[in-house]
Amino acid sequence: MTAAMETLIQSLVNGVLTGSLYAMIGVGLTVIFGVMRIINLAHGEMVMLGMFSAYWSYTLWKIDSFLSAIVWVPLFFLAGMLAYRYLVRAIMPGGELNTLLYTAGMSLLIANVALFAWTGDYRTLNLPYAVEPLHPFGIAVPVPLAIAFGLAALITAALYVFLARTDTGRAVRATSQNPEAAALMGINVERIAMITFGLGTALAAAAGVLLVPSLYLYPTVGEILVVKCFVIVVLGGLGSIPGAIAGGILLGVIESFGAVYVSVAYKDTIGFIMFLLVLLFRPQGLFGAARS
Amino acid sequence: MKRVLPVIAALLLLAIPLGVSNQFLLHLGITVLMWTILGLAWNLLGGYAGQVSFGHATFFGIGAYTTMILYLSFRLAPWYGMALGGVLGALFSLPIGLICFRLRGPYFSLATLAVAEIIRLVALNWESLTNGPVGLLITSLPQVTVFGAAINWERKEPFFVIVAVLALCAMLAAYLFTRSRLGSYLTAIREDEDAAEAIGIDTTRSKVTVLALSAFLTGLAGGFYGLYFRYVDPDAVFLISLSVEMVFIAVVGGLRTIAGPVVGAIFLTTIAELFRERFMVGHLIFYGLFMMLVIRFLPEGIWGRALRILTGRR
Repeated sequence: MTAAMETLIQSLVNGVLTGSLYAMIGVGLTVIFGVMRIINLAHGEMVMLGMFSAYWSYTLWKIDSFLSAIVWVPLFFLAGMLAYRYLVRAIMPGGELNTLLYTAGMSLLIANVALFAWTGDYRTLNLPYAVEPLHPFGIAVPVPLAIAFGLAALITAALYVFLARTDTGRAVRATSQNPEAAALMGINVERIAMITFGLGTALAAAAGVLLVPSLYLYPTVGEILVVKCFVIVVLGGLGSIPGAIAGGILLGVIESFGAVYVSVAYKDTIGFIMFLLVLLFRPQGLFGAARS
Repeated sequence: MKRVLPVIAALLLLAIPLGVSNQFLLHLGITVLMWTILGLAWNLLGGYAGQVSFGHATFFGIGAYTTMILYLSFRLAPWYGMALGGVLGALFSLPIGLICFRLRGPYFSLATLAVAEIIRLVALNWESLTNGPVGLLITSLPQVTVFGAAINWERKEPFFVIVAVLALCAMLAAYLFTRSRLGSYLTAIREDEDAAEAIGIDTTRSKVTVLALSAFLTGLAGGFYGLYFRYVDPDAVFLISLSVEMVFIAVVGGLRTIAGPVVGAIFLTTIAELFRERFMVGHLIFYGLFMMLVIRFLPEGIWGRALRILTGRR
């Protein structure tokens, strides 16, 4: 294998691994948008809280950060449902711009409470088994990222089964396609909205838990993540779950290739420029069918 | 009486440094006035025209960097730099507006967010121009004498007067704007963009014009920021949270009013500065908290509600 070939494959692998986690965050945002038409600007903060939860589980109680997902993900599901029921629901009649501003407020509040509680220090989590990367076929794969990828694939598959096979999952998709028609078919749209908000929050937090050994964490990390998340869902088409998965992996690969072939400093810029281009010329997303 | 009152208020504002010498109180006043300008500027676009921008930090940062770079590289006095910063902010807003105004509602907001992030990354990485993450520092400001006395830049009084004048100009500009033809066009656009276009309003042109005005004022305030703090770096002037703060000041105070951003700035900035003085971090907690409370319980903002109670309208 030539060196150039190796670099190409290496950055592709890195991109797909990181992209799978981006995809999870994006799916969380997109299901919430699909069902409630809320662009949740506080989504990045949910990822941040997930990251900190796993971080503290490891540093304070010596619980493996990946293992801690078993506790945190259901807790965040519950927290998301409560947040919708008691905080977000009352804003819904105000329209899209009001919910946008409201979740922006929520985002600033959560990030700054975290900043106050945990200071703005950059932290890292070093797992004992994650020192040496794996070397399958001569490609370096960081252990935590590989585990995160596996778990992300598992969670996404579980989500797929939930949405495709269960009654609640079908109701979520129906509400996403047409809330009025769904309500007429006897679906309790309010209940579905609550479950969906919980689901989106849980996905964001799960991604945070999985990301923590591979990323710096600090209270305002959500700010960057939420913007990336918009890039992802817009690439895939707002409201489309397969689109968000594809968009997440695509962004991961773009960033990884950008870092290698363009410049590390400008790798994020490439994603944003694509975002603008897609917003302007293909608002329904790269893969999505047009929807009103 | 109605005409005299604003003049008296303006004179009182300018007289504050004569009576108050507590440097912290003056600092508080300066911060409030700076945020008043930013809230007013954002309100022109976000309130009157109904275009919610999450990217105004771009113009703020451009203003701040223009002032700093012109002073450090060409010894151009910062007051000219401030004005040029505003102009450059307005010039930058033209292409940004032409791109982002192709989108509506929340999509416009997301596009401005992306543009602001691109500009922040450019500022962070274009080291030959901006000195990158290290930032730019002014060690001393030029000697100026007014009425035979040299201005002491170590004290807050001169800055207070400068920013007070700027804030008064911004208020006057906002007032004239609301009475102008453009103001009416934008109200029409906010209420129903398609209808506005149908009756012959060039919607894109109107929106780009108000964005340029808003960007000019924001750039001016950015220039003042550079002058006052004598230090800028990309994380101080290009951050998303800065854009969000401008939005919150206008919304919490009251959209589509001139006094709204003033009330919002007094209210939010004072709480935040007092908290910052005590704890250093986390002062934006109140911005988020009050934003949520206002959207939930007072959608017309603090001043908007006060006005309704005062004028007795239900």
